[in-house]
Amino acid sequence: MRIKNHYIVINLLLFFTLLSACNKQLEETESLVPLAPVDLDEDAGNWTMIVMTGPDQVAVSAPADINSDAYQAELAAIKNAQSNLTQDQRKIIEYWSGGGVLRWNQILRELVAQYNRPPAPRPDGTYPAPDPENPFSDPEFPFSNPPYAARAYSYVTLAQFEALKSAWYYKFQYNRPAPYSVDNSIQALVPKTDLPAYPSEDAVLSGVTVELLKALFPAAVEEITIHAANQRNAALWSGKASSSDISAGLALGKSVAALFLARARTDGMSAAVGTPAQWAALDDSARVHWAKAGLNANEEILWQSLENPPRPPMLPFFGQVKGWLMTAQDFANERPGPPPSSSSEQMKIELEEVKQYSKNYTREQLATVHKWADGVTTYTPPGHWNDIAAEFIADEKYSEVRAARAFALLNMAEHNAAVACWENKFYWFNPRPSQLDPSIKTTTGLPNFPSYGSGHSTFSAAAAAVLSYLFPAHTQYFHEQKDEAALSRLYGAIHYRSDIEVSVEHGDRIATYTINFALTDGAD
Amino acid sequence: MKKYLLLLSIIVFPVGYSSAQTLNDGLMMQKDNFCTGFIYMHDQWTEYWEGTRKRDNGNIGKLTTQSLTWVGNYGITNKLNVIAMLPYVRTNASKGTLAGMENIQDLSVGVKYNFFVKEWEGKSRFKTFGIINFSTPISNYSPDFLPLSIGMASTNLSYRLTAFYKLEKGWFANASAGYTWRSNVELDRPAYYNDEDETLYLTNEVQMPNVFDLFISAGYLKNGLQVELNYIQQNTLGGGDIRRQDMPFVSNKMNFNKGGILVMYYLPPLPELAVRLAGTYTFSGRNVGQSTTYLAGILYTIKFSGNP
Repeated sequence: MRIKNHYIVINLLLFFTLLSACNKQLEETESLVPLAPVDLDEDAGNWTMIVMTGPDQVAVSAPADINSDAYQAELAAIKNAQSNLTQDQRKIIEYWSGGGVLRWNQILRELVAQYNRPPAPRPDGTYPAPDPENPFSDPEFPFSNPPYAARAYSYVTLAQFEALKSAWYYKFQYNRPAPYSVDNSIQALVPKTDLPAYPSEDAVLSGVTVELLKALFPAAVEEITIHAANQRNAALWSGKASSSDISAGLALGKSVAALFLARARTDGMSAAVGTPAQWAALDDSARVHWAKAGLNANEEILWQSLENPPRPPMLPFFGQVKGWLMTAQDFANERPGPPPSSSSEQMKIELEEVKQYSKNYTREQLATVHKWADGVTTYTPPGHWNDIAAEFIADEKYSEVRAARAFALLNMAEHNAAVACWENKFYWFNPRPSQLDPSIKTTTGLPNFPSYGSGHSTFSAAAAAVLSYLFPAHTQYFHEQKDEAALSRLYGAIHYRSDIEVSVEHGDRIATYTINFALTDGAD
Repeated sequence: MKKYLLLLSIIVFPVGYSSAQTLNDGLMMQKDNFCTGFIYMHDQWTEYWEGTRKRDNGNIGKLTTQSLTWVGNYGITNKLNVIAMLPYVRTNASKGTLAGMENIQDLSVGVKYNFFVKEWEGKSRFKTFGIINFSTPISNYSPDFLPLSIGMASTNLSYRLTAFYKLEKGWFANASAGYTWRSNVELDRPAYYNDEDETLYLTNEVQMPNVFDLFISAGYLKNGLQVELNYIQQNTLGGGDIRRQDMPFVSNKMNFNKGGILVMYYLPPLPELAVRLAGTYTFSGRNVGQSTTYLAGILYTIKFSGNP
């Protein structure tokens, strides 16, 4: 009897052990099919440039003839590499075959999420600032919060776009075929196209992206460098590019990156954090703006940090950072009028609405709040819209240059939305609902900057407008997502309804600058 | 031995982050007896471990978790018990703006089987038990708002072995080790960053590491009185640390070592009624709060005598 009992227990344990072994493993990356573009976009070399003066601003010298000994030696090297490919090398080829632009966008989103953490307070209640000269320390550099991220996404994707337009210009000027087309004994381990190989678009992408990412996320240098090297190796091993295709592309990419890095150094970002004296003056300058709007400036309750200890506001001078295709005057012209005064009847009504959501929300509303929270350790709202866009871009099977255009348009508009929204926030400097009524608790983190207007709403309206331009068949979907993102901030009790409604219109207006450019850039 | 000395032993681990319940003592309900009642728990911490770094947080202040748990234990035979639990959980942060959460948490149903007994007549006895416990969320609460989420939202399957040794004079020692398999959980968002492998996962599904736990107790048990000192250890078998100044994440490695005291007493005027009091303190941990927990419960035993 005793033995039998033991037997039952052992059997039961065995059964549950087997059950527990069932697979919980997840696939973390986007699964992308090998890119076979539906159109080579042969004229992309003539599309309008934005930062570069023209597609030939960076010179790329003519390649060696395909019959030259030097080039034949390069082909031999590819054959040799292909005959010894390891499993890991094949995986690298497969990964990058999904499209360099899409892959780098994914890597960029991961970097933003990884570095999106605010500094911890010091024991004395002050906060250290992330230091680009000392990026590995605590706090790490950068704190890739939404404005930082919006700017980073725009620099990387626009630099990729400009570099690829230049690459296309030279590709069709020199017309050197890919190694797999020159030599039949070289296998095409990625979908074969007629795109000329010199300079290699993969090497251009790796060169331009790695230089920008090293500046934007210096502590991630190792990871970034490995990705870039893998991308170039994948181009070579797959029979797509020879070593001279790659070295020419890499040099072009790096030169284009240098143009963007020069702009980045003088775009106002280094002044966006501000100084303690500047933070102290934000109140006074806001009161001047309220008075200028004919309102009783002295009675206005202005923004205060609700963090403990109080934290300086997030990038209060980001509104002065240079935009894309927009001047400082354009931003001022588009700025909405004042929010409801903190003492107004309308504010009382709006505050009451926020309070109701804070106390009574449905599970669906909470899901919406969390879906769009996009706070600490996430890719931020602009990253969320890149995530959404990536799916549509992949589905369209765009050429690399057209994929880069889509991301660049989206992210120029997102960066402009960040500048516009921050300029507006710090112009009026009004309080969050929880400041006016401390009993209002929030179901997502309370952002540490003024309430009016809503960043999510501005970002989402601008993104929905650009994506609707790019993928008109899905307009309804983008606008549903935008509405959800915008309202999530009311459900989460961190924004008044007017913050949201005004900012949706604001973001929409901001996007027109990018869309108007796109309509005439030669690619439309 | 009083025949009413029929004990439930439920140590609730809602503490800050974790919410597994275990059934880990060496005592059984007699056949056809049903013990049921409610246990109130109050758990609080102000300091927590961010990875291995101990700190407080001005935007959390004191984190309080309260729960009221219905418990029921039925003796199918003297050697086979079915134990069920259902807690209602509420959280609150004393500082900052983050909203507390409350809801019904996870229903747990377990089977406890006494598969071995060795008795030394008039001196002592040794028993071993096998326990299988299943738990699953009853409400659709969000596990993505830690430390204010009311639970982890995974469906769990635990199995454990318990050994119990008791002298006839009343002194006893008990050891129980469990392994909990946890299902993946789903978040409301389409992507998340995983601290463990520093990777952005483009899915709403999170892989949950399994959990090992150990419960050791020793004390006195006689004439309707149980007094014990206990040690509780939980090790999450995987998961990443909370990064500097980051929020906790559902799949974090949540480890702790706790010590506690428990008193259970069957009231002499009404021996069907027992009161249960317990206190537990967290000595060390990782990605959990350094919590102090108090339990108070009332349990009533109904005897379904005479077979129908």
